[in-house]
Amino acid sequence: MSTNIWVWIAALLSLCIFSYLYKDNPAFRFAEHLFTGLSVGYLIVLYWNNYALPYIITPLADKRWITLIPMLIGMMYLFRFVPKLNHLILIPIAISLGFWNGMSIPLTIEADVLKQVQGTMINTSMLSNIWHPQNGLAVGLMVLVGVISTISYFYFSREHKGVLRFSSNIGIWFVMIGFGATFGYTVMARVSLLIARMQFLFTDWIHLIK
Amino acid sequence: MKRQIPLMLVLVLGILFFVQFFVPSQLSMEIYQMALQWSIVIGAFAIVLAIGSLVNHHTLKIKRRKEHFWNSYVTLFALFAMAFLGIFGRIESLSFMSAWFRKLFLYVQAPMDSAMFAILAFYMASAAYRAFRARSKEAMLLLISGFIIMLGVVPFGAYLWGRIPDIAEWIMMVPNMAAKRGILFGVGLGMTATSLKIILGIERNWLGGGGK
Amino acid sequence: MRRMLTGLILLGTATVLLSAPPGTDRAAGPEPVPLNPPCGVQAFDKPNDAGQAITIQWQASPDEASGLVEGYEVFRAESPEAPESLWVRVGYVPYGFTSYEDQDVPRNGVDYYYLVRSKNQTQSAASGFSNPARSSEQWFNTMRINALVGSILFVIIVVYFISMAKRGQHLFVRRIAGLTAVEEAVGRATEMGRPILYVPGLSSITDVATIAALNILGQVAKKTAEYDTPLLVPNRDPVVFTVAQEIVKEAYSEIGRPDAYNHDSVFYLTDSQMGYASGVDGIMSREKPATNFFMGMFWAESLILAETGAATGAIQIAGTDAVHQLPFFITACDYTLIGEELYAASAYLSREPMLLGTLKGQDWSKAVIYLLLLLGVGLSFLSPGIREFILNLLTVG
Repeated sequence: MSTNIWVWIAALLSLCIFSYLYKDNPAFRFAEHLFTGLSVGYLIVLYWNNYALPYIITPLADKRWITLIPMLIGMMYLFRFVPKLNHLILIPIAISLGFWNGMSIPLTIEADVLKQVQGTMINTSMLSNIWHPQNGLAVGLMVLVGVISTISYFYFSREHKGVLRFSSNIGIWFVMIGFGATFGYTVMARVSLLIARMQFLFTDWIHLIK
Repeated sequence: MKRQIPLMLVLVLGILFFVQFFVPSQLSMEIYQMALQWSIVIGAFAIVLAIGSLVNHHTLKIKRRKEHFWNSYVTLFALFAMAFLGIFGRIESLSFMSAWFRKLFLYVQAPMDSAMFAILAFYMASAAYRAFRARSKEAMLLLISGFIIMLGVVPFGAYLWGRIPDIAEWIMMVPNMAAKRGILFGVGLGMTATSLKIILGIERNWLGGGGK
Repeated sequence: MRRMLTGLILLGTATVLLSAPPGTDRAAGPEPVPLNPPCGVQAFDKPNDAGQAITIQWQASPDEASGLVEGYEVFRAESPEAPESLWVRVGYVPYGFTSYEDQDVPRNGVDYYYLVRSKNQTQSAASGFSNPARSSEQWFNTMRINALVGSILFVIIVVYFISMAKRGQHLFVRRIAGLTAVEEAVGRATEMGRPILYVPGLSSITDVATIAALNILGQVAKKTAEYDTPLLVPNRDPVVFTVAQEIVKEAYSEIGRPDAYNHDSVFYLTDSQMGYASGVDGIMSREKPATNFFMGMFWAESLILAETGAATGAIQIAGTDAVHQLPFFITACDYTLIGEELYAASAYLSREPMLLGTLKGQDWSKAVIYLLLLLGVGLSFLSPGIREFILNLLTVG
């Protein structure tokens, strides 16, 4: 058994969290509330050190007065507490939305459309190796069929009947096989996380495993 | 007027940063960098509201003596203690505080974080069971493909039948890839349309009241 | 044990040194063979950038093949006649590389000359000078012309259908099971006298999925206001929290029930991913919501949330574009909006013609993608040149 009090605290809190698997109980409730409090406290420190100090306080100390503009805009969030000026909260929100949405349009077209169309194209190595299980022409064409049928599942402005029903059904098969693959892959990764936690409990805490 | 200014801001900034994406010039880069820094400064103030909300939420629970209200004391105490130790621990003469801050993070917060992550493995099992119970064709496809992949990545799979790792790889490379790509096309169009709706002021939920 | 290991390493090192071929033992070589320099040095402005960058390319030294060259040093000067002291070393690349990007060019619009030295531990050999090159900034990134065309085409299609919708044309939208269930789910909570939990994802406002989730929240909040059902919206991101609060408050006003709005129903939980998951787990166990909505961006916590919710017997409707989390929502939730369905939800629920118009625009854009895919693949069979051309056309930068 470990003689380090902190290891004991860590182990007991881990058990408090695990206890939720049985059902909600006072131990879990304590750990959950402690977790919330500590993590938000940590967030405050993180914001203070990584954002407030370098982006607000240091520039102001260096008399870079331009920082006052975003500061004033940010302060508009605080008008939430002033009923008459409550609507000013929309200004910083609008700035965030305008900035990110403007950039998002071409970025998304690049990453989710053009790159994906390019990835579905036939290349020369596929033609020279028709039956290769990963990079052959047959595989390329099968991916094309999968992509086209999956897209058809997301067709909204027509009832899924006839050809559209047929292709969207094939699409959903592809989707489900794909999801199964992700599921299986992630299961293996998560099991390794559990093993790591068990190792801590049995090695560092009760020294059952040496 | 109250809503016109935010709408104009979204439109102007939306168009500005759409154009900025295509302009690699010095000025354009500087504008982008400045916008990034500004958004950090602006966002930093939102945390005041967030913390205000959390404190208010728990104070109300205590005031109203809601069930399990004593847990709220734990949250409030932990929040202020952690913030106090972290911020004042920067002062040299109070470095013992930063040592406590680190200990609380390493031995209290981090283990709970890892434990929650570890719980996932148990939930995986119950999710698989749920998939098995759902007797639809689609759920079966999901389960079978998931099972093959799981077998494919462990030596036991190859021990059962030598071709299992190949089949697993084929599933990853063909149906999985095709489905993800098909979904991504839709997601891409959906995202672009949502951004466009926000910029053009067609989607005004964020303004509240449908922008009226 | 540690000693044994050190001994083994020392022994190994000695063996390698002793058995090294004579050519590689540079210190011992009595007469070093003169090193050949690289040749054909060319310099040109780096395209599509903010300026102050020049690309230098050269042909490898013939000695590279025999392993004599360790790398290349790149030098810059304002004049080819500049004395050696005025040649600034701007960079080094190991052998195998035949180009370098000088990112620190002092001024745009000024001619600079470059030379490249092949180098090993004992020797170096300088190439001839490059052509004069001057850096400049560009005002349009030509590598992104395809994204510009794509974006403009998409905007045109969508705006066209919005204008059609404005003119009152009826736009059909197929049934989406997960969204049709929203009304039923809110009704069920009302009947049971239990709250509705709405998780607007764990990402920030920079994620469009979060914006979509907030739009759906607006529609759900209107229904909870109508039925007077309690709503719980825990948040992870401070900015998302402020927007969510605004949206819910206004949804209640719009329905004409501002008095029913509870300021504490939209609240901030924590920024920690697993802290948030444990907090929401707690809410699900204690408040026993009849309906759980999980909309927006999720990571590993998706399964924790959905499984806990399923165990409490709540009706669960999830929607995300996170492809890796979708399988878990599908297995543990009653309804799941897959990818684009999340973005279609706001239009579907509100039935607002302009929003439905964008949905129609999205569908037509899919037709354009079909065309691109089929035409691209079809033409690719014709000749390698066409294949190359198509792939280049789609390359993003």
